Amino acid sequence: MRKLNEKLVGRIVLKAGFLLVVGAGLVGCGGPSSSDGVVANEIPLPTDTLLNLACADVGINIEQCVLDDFENPFRATVTKEFDPNDPDADTKFALNNSLPEGPTGAKARFYLWATALARFPSGENQYNTALALHELFTTSGDPLIREQAKRAYRSVWENFFGSVTVFECCGEFFPEPRDDTAFAVPLNELVLERLVRAAEFTSMSYPNGFEPLIPDDPSGLDAGLIELETQEVITSWGFNYRCTGLGAARTCFVEVSVFP
Amino acid sequence: MPRLISKTSSGKFCVVLTLILGAMVALTGQAHAANVVTTFRDENGWRLKVDGEDFYVKGVNWGYTPRNENFNYNLWSESPDRIRKVLDYEMEFLKKANVNAIRSFSMIPPEWITYIYREHGIMTAVNPLMGRYGYMVGGRWVEFTDYSDPLTRETLKRDMLEIIELYKNTPGVLMFAFGNESNYGLSWSSFEIENLPVGEQNTAKARFLYSLFNEVIKAGKEIAPNHPFTLVNGDIQYIDLIAELVPDLDILGSNVYRGPSFTDLWARVDEKLDLPVLFFEFGSDAYNARTKQEDEVSQAMILKAQWQEMYNKAWGNGEEGNSIGGFVFEWRDEWWKYLQDENLDIHDNNASWSNQAYLFDWREGKNNMNEEWFGIAALGKVNADGVYEARPRMAYDVLAETWSMDPYMYKKVAINQGFNDMDMELIALKSDVRVLKAESKERRQTVSFNGGSLKGEFVVKGTQKDIDEFGEEGLEFTDGQMLFLDVGFAPTERIEGRSTVNILGNVADTEPLIIQYGRRGLPVEVVIEDDPLICDPESTCPRIQRTTVLNDRERVEIYDFEASYDGDAFDVNAFYHVPRYHLKYEGDFFGLIRETTDLTSPDTGQDIWNAKAPSGIEFIGDEMLNGLTVMVGPELYWGANPKAVVKGDFSFAGVDYTFMHAEDLARRDEGVAATAATEIQTRQTTLYADINFRNNTRLEVGGIMASTEKVGDPYSRLEGSGVVFDEIDWEDTLGIKAKLSFDVGDAARSYVAGHYAGLVADGGDPLKEFGTRLPLSALGNKGVFEAGAMINRGNFMLFPRFMYRENLVDANPNIDPFIDPNTGTLFPGLNARNRDDDAFAVLDNREATAYELFLTYDPTGATPFYQWDNDVRENAPFAMNIGLNYTEYPTFTDSYQFFFDREGVNAAFGRGLPPEDVWEVSSRMVFVPGFDSRLILNLVAGRGQSTGDPTGGSRDYYKMDAKFIRGRHVFSGYFKKDAWGPYDFYRQFNITFPEQFRFDYEILLDELFHEDWSTRIGIRTLFWTVDENSPDDFYLDGENDYLFLSSLYFTFMF
Repeated sequence: MRKLNEKLVGRIVLKAGFLLVVGAGLVGCGGPSSSDGVVANEIPLPTDTLLNLACADVGINIEQCVLDDFENPFRATVTKEFDPNDPDADTKFALNNSLPEGPTGAKARFYLWATALARFPSGENQYNTALALHELFTTSGDPLIREQAKRAYRSVWENFFGSVTVFECCGEFFPEPRDDTAFAVPLNELVLERLVRAAEFTSMSYPNGFEPLIPDDPSGLDAGLIELETQEVITSWGFNYRCTGLGAARTCFVEVSVFP
Repeated sequence: MPRLISKTSSGKFCVVLTLILGAMVALTGQAHAANVVTTFRDENGWRLKVDGEDFYVKGVNWGYTPRNENFNYNLWSESPDRIRKVLDYEMEFLKKANVNAIRSFSMIPPEWITYIYREHGIMTAVNPLMGRYGYMVGGRWVEFTDYSDPLTRETLKRDMLEIIELYKNTPGVLMFAFGNESNYGLSWSSFEIENLPVGEQNTAKARFLYSLFNEVIKAGKEIAPNHPFTLVNGDIQYIDLIAELVPDLDILGSNVYRGPSFTDLWARVDEKLDLPVLFFEFGSDAYNARTKQEDEVSQAMILKAQWQEMYNKAWGNGEEGNSIGGFVFEWRDEWWKYLQDENLDIHDNNASWSNQAYLFDWREGKNNMNEEWFGIAALGKVNADGVYEARPRMAYDVLAETWSMDPYMYKKVAINQGFNDMDMELIALKSDVRVLKAESKERRQTVSFNGGSLKGEFVVKGTQKDIDEFGEEGLEFTDGQMLFLDVGFAPTERIEGRSTVNILGNVADTEPLIIQYGRRGLPVEVVIEDDPLICDPESTCPRIQRTTVLNDRERVEIYDFEASYDGDAFDVNAFYHVPRYHLKYEGDFFGLIRETTDLTSPDTGQDIWNAKAPSGIEFIGDEMLNGLTVMVGPELYWGANPKAVVKGDFSFAGVDYTFMHAEDLARRDEGVAATAATEIQTRQTTLYADINFRNNTRLEVGGIMASTEKVGDPYSRLEGSGVVFDEIDWEDTLGIKAKLSFDVGDAARSYVAGHYAGLVADGGDPLKEFGTRLPLSALGNKGVFEAGAMINRGNFMLFPRFMYRENLVDANPNIDPFIDPNTGTLFPGLNARNRDDDAFAVLDNREATAYELFLTYDPTGATPFYQWDNDVRENAPFAMNIGLNYTEYPTFTDSYQFFFDREGVNAAFGRGLPPEDVWEVSSRMVFVPGFDSRLILNLVAGRGQSTGDPTGGSRDYYKMDAKFIRGRHVFSGYFKKDAWGPYDFYRQFNITFPEQFRFDYEILLDELFHEDWSTRIGIRTLFWTVDENSPDDFYLDGENDYLFLSSLYFTFMF
């Protein structure tokens, strides 16, 4: 009888021991503690214009190194695209609109759009990344950034030629004011304008417009020569453009070169 | 009651008794026309007498197992006509060879024993196995019968006596025998036994076994006094115990594999037992493990030598005189013996054990006994009557000649002369066989045609909208044809294989209601030219395109392929789209290798997606490399990334260990099925220990290190209202899992299990047994406790189970980011994670509390209710289960993904599934009212969530499917209400239909009566109604109410 009891106790000890191990495993190993990680509720946004390129192709589709760049404040931020099932939800544009205009917001804008591009390759994200790089070059004059901006614009043509961006406006101009109407603008045309007519886009922040990206040193060149050089570069990329009209009525179109 | 069969009484006394018994039997008339069988002893030895006549047992172990079947096959559940055809075919062969008795592992029903006896003159030894391979005790299937257990003894004795009662008056019954080498199966454990010194443990167990034998025999003789009783021992092990504990034994039955001679067995039995000896198994296999080829000559020579010795040891030859015959093992080859559940249509060459007594192919350290080659006849192909033909081997002819001699009629000298005379013919036969073998070998070395099938269908389909608008013109008619050709090859003795080629004719467009194999040949629209004036051909920009329709794609493809190399140091198996099992019972505790066996099921089989898993090569070590397995392949299981797996099994200090490492070599570039997301490229390493304690207690412990490539990967989580950035550490790759299984009393088997897994310590496919629907998960980031108890009472089993799971890090909610213009800071927000963009995601490993209860009624434990093929195997008149699962999911998940085919990448749904309580009640019923009738009914009701898209919320659903088989008629179908569509993507995208209906009738046209292997013709109809939860292009904003399809089809097997 005593022996039997010993055996019974042995079994109970065995099972209890097992449960103890399991319980300890479940309770003691319970994931990250509150001391792990960094609270990130307020991430300071950069206001300077000195951009360190995280890798050679940062900001160019399909490179994603910007997501691993610790200088990128948006690397863990949700950059939501427009969702037709939830059209009223905030998107990446809400973040963009919250950034300060002008040079103090340029670097943050680059990170925002480069992050959006890395997460969701689209012409819109590529174009705005290029625009942010262009803006940064305008304020810093950094030749590395100029080359990156050119590559980013070229990427719009090469990877997203038919893409458009959409804006809404003008409801108030109708005889009976109505909701704004959505207009689609081909991005390839916007890129062309930014490359050919950069200085014409003036604003409070950039009263002289953006610095031309082509040629490398435009000082001393008149507008005609700048455009000629620009056309030569564009042709070397495998694209042509042609314009009609003059002055404010001048309209330009870009096309793929048949004989690149 | 006096013993009627005495081993010590004089011959005269026996003769008188026999005459009296014979007279009694004759007087009782036809109803009691059972034979009177006695043993007889005089100074010249022992004889067996049937109805007073000498009867030297010239027997074989007989059984009928077709190709593609295994030990579960039951001829006696077939129609009487079919049984008669099989018996007539088989017994005619035996009769021609002068066989006078058979022993069968299956219990031949009394009426068929009489049929065999009356029609063919062959008697049967009734041989219940008496728990040798497990037994149903107290309503629970016990794998290792514990002969010391009082309930087991009582159960076995009761059942054996019932069998004796049933058979005692059956004409054709030769004797009653019990067990089968039961002394080799003393594998149970108990405190009482394990406390004994190791050397005495088995002897102690054997005492329980033999004492039970005697109890059964003693009581049996009171029921059936006209038959002798024996047991089937493994050789003469424990002969002293038999002498001591089985005094009522009439005959020593024994399975003996001592090679050409039985050596000292006769003398030892004579000395220790003084009983006649009847071999229940002996013989030789017909495969030479050394030369890797069939060896009919060696088999025949060994059997000839054995029978010559048996005849010499028979009554009246001046030797021991205790031989009364034997049952040669066996009549036909059995193709299921190796692996038992696999390769059932393949004649495996694997040698399972080593026996030095068979010198013709024995080598040191090598196995030489080929279990699938013991037949004196090979298993041929099916004939016009649906019976698998027998191809007699040389041994058959030698035995036919041997059995034509009566050992009692001739003196020893004459008998030996007869055997010696036979030698001349043997040489001639040998020569003939060599010629045949050469021809056979030549055939094998070229590609051989093994058969195939031709399928055809004629389909009409339509929608309510089209029919209303266009009338008959709205119907769509298509037809399809498909051919399968199966070829085999064996370029060398060590290499063999087979392959099936599929050829398409037309392809019937049965979609969307039926997606089926062959859709690779459906017309497809492809881009043939870009307009270079619009866009750079090198770029990916949208462009104006010209398209064309391809109608004749992929008409021929290799459907499957397998080949093996049988080497000395290792074997190699190559496999492509052939079923492969998981390794969870072989040390794969974390389920790294998933099972891929469902190739052809109509709704879930991978064939409908033209998937070709599993594919790869497997190296299995032998000799120095024993226990090592290496697998490499592009898709080792369905959905697997290209992967290499190393598995090592070893033992240390009495504990079995398994080490595994799985390394993804690349990532798949397309999803499995329609839209299942591809898996990330990763690696896993596991170590498992299996520790068996006394009293049937088992502890399994395993550790895992997984996804080490993710160390350093960032992730974010919500703590309070704040966002925390963190990264994966080494400890997040680790996991541990343990399971303790133990008995609670006599009729309950319980388990408790725990599993802790770090954030990225993802395992593989969890083991799911006994129909469980507990929400087990392969993913890490969890602590799990699980417990259950399998409680058996009579034919009922109650199985409550419980599972609780917590996440180490919860799923992320969707919180929009924002920028504070005043401070110039960013609140980064959170988004539901997904498996591609984040280090981990909370998906089916979400927090859960699950309760489950299954009640099962199954009176026949030998055909387990939860076996995968129970639908066709169940032999109880009625068996059923009813199960309830209730699971609480108190938290939401991260985002599931789907494979976006157009872009060739995974895409996330963007939101997780919300918290929910889900449940399901189900019942499966199997009715077997007669030999040729069977009804399988499944009923399900439940509430569940999508497996991906949360849109539309949870669904209440009801399903019923049934299959009824009556002879050659097969009816099947289903009805579903508010359920997801039949294919996985419907649930993934939360797409349901108000009603789904399917009806299928087919008639089997040949004599095989096999749903998979018979030629057949059938008609099928599907009807689905649609609503706003159905696909938009079906519902058409309410313009369409239903879709339907009907098809007439045939399958011709050849």
